Amino acid sequence: METVVTIVFLIIAALMLFSGVMVVAVKNIIHSALWLISTFFMVGALYLLLEAEFLAVVQVLIYVGAVSILMLFAIMLTRHVMASRPEQAFYRRWYLALGVCLLLFGAAIVPTLLAQQPGFAQATETAQQALGSPERIAGVFSLGVAYVSQYLIPFQIAGLLLLVALIGAIVIAFEERSRRRRILTLAQEHELRRRQAQPLPPAEPVVMAEESNP
Amino acid sequence: MQAIIDALLGWTGAPQWLLTLIAYVAIATLLFVVAPLTMMFLTWFERRGIALMQDRLGPNRVGPAGLLQPIADGVKMFVKEDITPEGADKYVHALAPIVVAAPAMLMFAVIPWGYNMVPTDLSVGLLFFIAVSSVSAVGLMMAGWGSNNKFSLLGAMRAVAQMVAYEIPLLLAVTSIVMLTGTLSTVAIVEAQGGGFGIGGWFIWTPVGMLGFFIFAVAALAEAERTPFDIPEAESEIVAGYMTEYSGMKFGLFYIANFLLAWLMCAIGVTLFLGGWQGLGVNELRAAGYGVGASILSLIYFLLKTYLLYFGILLIRATWPRLRVDQLMNFGWKWLVPLALANILAAMLWVPITQWDAVRGLGFLAGLSPLARFGLAWLVAAVVNVAAVIFVLRINTARPDEPPYALADEPAAGL
Repeated sequence: METVVTIVFLIIAALMLFSGVMVVAVKNIIHSALWLISTFFMVGALYLLLEAEFLAVVQVLIYVGAVSILMLFAIMLTRHVMASRPEQAFYRRWYLALGVCLLLFGAAIVPTLLAQQPGFAQATETAQQALGSPERIAGVFSLGVAYVSQYLIPFQIAGLLLLVALIGAIVIAFEERSRRRRILTLAQEHELRRRQAQPLPPAEPVVMAEESNP
Repeated sequence: MQAIIDALLGWTGAPQWLLTLIAYVAIATLLFVVAPLTMMFLTWFERRGIALMQDRLGPNRVGPAGLLQPIADGVKMFVKEDITPEGADKYVHALAPIVVAAPAMLMFAVIPWGYNMVPTDLSVGLLFFIAVSSVSAVGLMMAGWGSNNKFSLLGAMRAVAQMVAYEIPLLLAVTSIVMLTGTLSTVAIVEAQGGGFGIGGWFIWTPVGMLGFFIFAVAALAEAERTPFDIPEAESEIVAGYMTEYSGMKFGLFYIANFLLAWLMCAIGVTLFLGGWQGLGVNELRAAGYGVGASILSLIYFLLKTYLLYFGILLIRATWPRLRVDQLMNFGWKWLVPLALANILAAMLWVPITQWDAVRGLGFLAGLSPLARFGLAWLVAAVVNVAAVIFVLRINTARPDEPPYALADEPAAGL
């Protein structure tokens, strides 16, 4: 069982690294975004491997279902801006980017490696039995209880922040809207054009009854 | 399934993880057989159903009553020429149908088909269902962009905007049911609706469930892109939306995904609001020890309810015109979202009145009988929901003082 999990982990990790590299390696920005989505999926799979079902599902729901869609929308709506980007400038100083990446990665990984014994923890059967089965990581129930007890304040503040962002978005949308006219149906638009083309006759009270007299 | 595999292969002395793996592979295989069969039956069901409503016959030549028509259609799809447009992004174009169809297959994994008949009882099953359904939006985007066609891109933009917008009322409607049951597992939600001889316990009989079901039904229609929300593939406006440049089996995959998504939305609606596989006699059979009988009866109930709901979709498709894009967005944000929020408020009042005992300030409830508490909760939730409906109706139908556009009055009758 242990070896199966290790093999699955290695496959997922390899795919994740591959798609991560492809995000920055491909030239087409849409392809780049699609590779990023694949990376998000692999992160979700990694959570699933850790038996954190809730986190995995939320990863897919938020990152694949919402964030990446938003990114794709943004890219497609600004395609012309993206198409004229100076590609050469990015590729000429690739060694700088590589150096920065390695530095950041090293800053994250070196303290972890120093603090821990090198090598994978080889859990033998007897050791596992002595420890007992490990506790479930992020069950929905315990997560919910933690949100309303231990982490109530951060949870509420995050909620308030999102509410403010929501109201801000609505305010911006309303400003846009005041400058924009209402969407008309084709018939209404046609009528509007017709009336704008010919100046309206002076408003005279038209008495239908008199006109219809023979 | 696990038990069957254990009994069949236990004598080989294979390790337990291998047996588990075999059991799950068997379940997955079964689902991948059931899903296309369901889809094939649905196409026949839909065409015959619509024909019935429009006073036509529909497909009736291949096989008894035309039942084998989907197989003929499948053969036609397979032997058609597979065209990739010249300017298309080849890989994205080819991958898109798969990305759309795969989530629809995955969603079958958490549907409780009957008593003891669920592929996997995930503790976050409901969330899994919604999360996976949102993945197909990526596929739609890929289809629209990869085809390099303005109709495709327009259709994809419409489809994704619609899916993202209607996911919110869908999630909020589902949240109210999750609050009532206190679980995200689809199996546990069905079990919670077992009261009243398997019929009285359905959530649709409570005010929270009624409003929730309405919101869910509308949002599910929009998610599945069925009439009156079939704006993304409005054939009179944008050819066929994101499917314009697809032919052969690639188009077939979109077709499969579309039908399966609609059916799955019906199935999850039945699970959440109409008691899932609960029905008259299932629990009695369980109590009497006839587990297999209960399973079969509950499967029949589940399929009956789901196809009845699907028939409702057909009725709507046969009778309703299509909405405009701005009407769609208005309806989603100005009607469904406020109603869903009010519904959550009602659920929030429902839970303590029916379930909590020793809460400060609610001490008077402890003395009441369960039925009285149920009645009180029903009344409170009904008042909240009716008030919300009236309020939303009033703010949305109020006429503005002056029309925001320069047209003085409605177009003349002769126009």
